[in-house]
Amino acid sequence: MAVQEYFLPQSLEQALDLLAEHAPALLVMAGGTIAMPLINEGISMPEKVMGLRRAGLDTVRRENSTLVVGATTTLTQLAHQTDIPMLQEAVRHIGGWQIRNMGTVGGNLFAPPPAGDLAVALLALDATVVLASKQRGQRALPLTEFFTGFMATALAPDELVTALHIPLPRGKMSYIKYGRRHANTPAIVTVAAHVVVEAGKVVDAHLALNAVGPHPIRARRAEQVLRGAPLNAATIAEAAREAAAECEPFTDAIATDWYRRRMTEVFVRRALERIMG
Amino acid sequence: MASRIVTFNLNGRDVEVMVKPLTTLQTVLREHLRLTATKSGCRQGGCGSCTVLVNGEPVLSCLLPVEDVAGQTVVTLEGITPVEGLHPIQQAFFDNYAIQCGYCSPGMIMVIKALLDRNPNPTRQEVMDAIAGNVCRCTGYESILRAAEDAARRLQTV
Ligand SMILES: Cc1cc2nc3c(=O)[nH]c(=O)nc-3n(C[C@H](O)[C@H](O)[C@H](O)COP(=O)(O)OP(=O)(O)OC[C@H]3O[C@@H](n4cnc5c(N)ncnc54)[C@H](O)[C@@H]3O)c2cc1C
Ligand code: FES
Ligand code: FES
Repeated sequence: MAVQEYFLPQSLEQALDLLAEHAPALLVMAGGTIAMPLINEGISMPEKVMGLRRAGLDTVRRENSTLVVGATTTLTQLAHQTDIPMLQEAVRHIGGWQIRNMGTVGGNLFAPPPAGDLAVALLALDATVVLASKQRGQRALPLTEFFTGFMATALAPDELVTALHIPLPRGKMSYIKYGRRHANTPAIVTVAAHVVVEAGKVVDAHLALNAVGPHPIRARRAEQVLRGAPLNAATIAEAAREAAAECEPFTDAIATDWYRRRMTEVFVRRALERIMG
Repeated sequence: MASRIVTFNLNGRDVEVMVKPLTTLQTVLREHLRLTATKSGCRQGGCGSCTVLVNGEPVLSCLLPVEDVAGQTVVTLEGITPVEGLHPIQQAFFDNYAIQCGYCSPGMIMVIKALLDRNPNPTRQEVMDAIAGNVCRCTGYESILRAAEDAARRLQTV
């Protein structure tokens, strides 16, 4: 059955009203780079669709030491901010130019793995996601609690993602996406690290992995290895082994689970070596 | 399933179309307006053959509901082709053997147009980055890179 209705709300308030009225039969879409291919192919056959392009959620601004990024900010728009270079680096590794012009920051949180190459950077940066609904207003959730499973999130049917709050990082950052080709390629593994080193010792470590789990994940055990340890070759090797052991890779057309695990060790090591300098 | 009227600026002229919900810009261009330079390869976002410029930015018309471009400016390959002869980018593609079957050419040319509008003298790497979302199954890309570099030179001397 063809789509019966396409809504294009002009504000967040209108969007939340429409969602309250029509959820869960209403498919939400931002850049459409995930949703439209499924609709074109007939895999997804929604009765009603709501596009967010005109809802005014595409602003990026600094609030003290936090970068506030609207959910429908395109990847290209995000690349224009210079406060957090790792976000620019992540965007460079997503899709081709047209996909970056259309795909959004919020949409990347819903991208099934191996996609999620921006979300993994947001995880390493300890971002908070802001959700809103007409009935219950706003709530904020650490991104770590937002992901609940494969293609499953904490988003309620009547909620929208409105923004991400990203604290400006204190430490050094490193981002590596490893794929079969240089550009426009699905990840075998993507590593995003944010490590704070003081007097040669790691005081805080955030290590996030993509394409080796049901959603972008934090490598908690590897982080444990890093915290409090001197950032040297031995620590890095152990953290890389832990990350490879704790990730949950899968097999797809791009790589086997075995290969993804091996490459997780290699690229976590390389990412941390870059931070060590 | 109420149809809606959508108006936008296409290749310098205002057009008005009547569409069913969620009709893509690609369908409007090819099937309603019979402007078939914009191709339909995968309709999955994967090939780039449907690339058009919206407000100067390259986007995939197969993933774009036409209602989203209401009031905006769309340029397709037809819009840059002169009445007589070829656009310098088209001529450079022709002279450098960058067209074999030609299916990817409209998308490639629109992306290179967008690149040269921003960056009249791109490096080879910058051209490669720009066309990373466009697939060519014939040429092996080398001739397309040469054509882009040649087009940059031609546009700087006009
Ligand atoms: C050729 C191609 C290459 C790609 N390459 C990459 C890549 O290298 N790396 C990568 O990570 N991804 C890649 N992607 C996937 C995708 O383009 C990106 O993940 C993009 O960021 C998705 O954003 P979107 O706004 O287009 O999503 P949409 O398709 O608009 O949204 C997908 C779903 O997310 C939900 N959603 C989106 N926004 C909101 C919101 N604000 N509130 C509530 N729910 C919402 C909805 O359920 C919606 O249906 C690629 C896609 C294609 C087609
Ligand atoms: S037809 Fe649009 S990207 Fe292939
Ligand atoms: S010339 Fe045939 S696809 Fe490029």
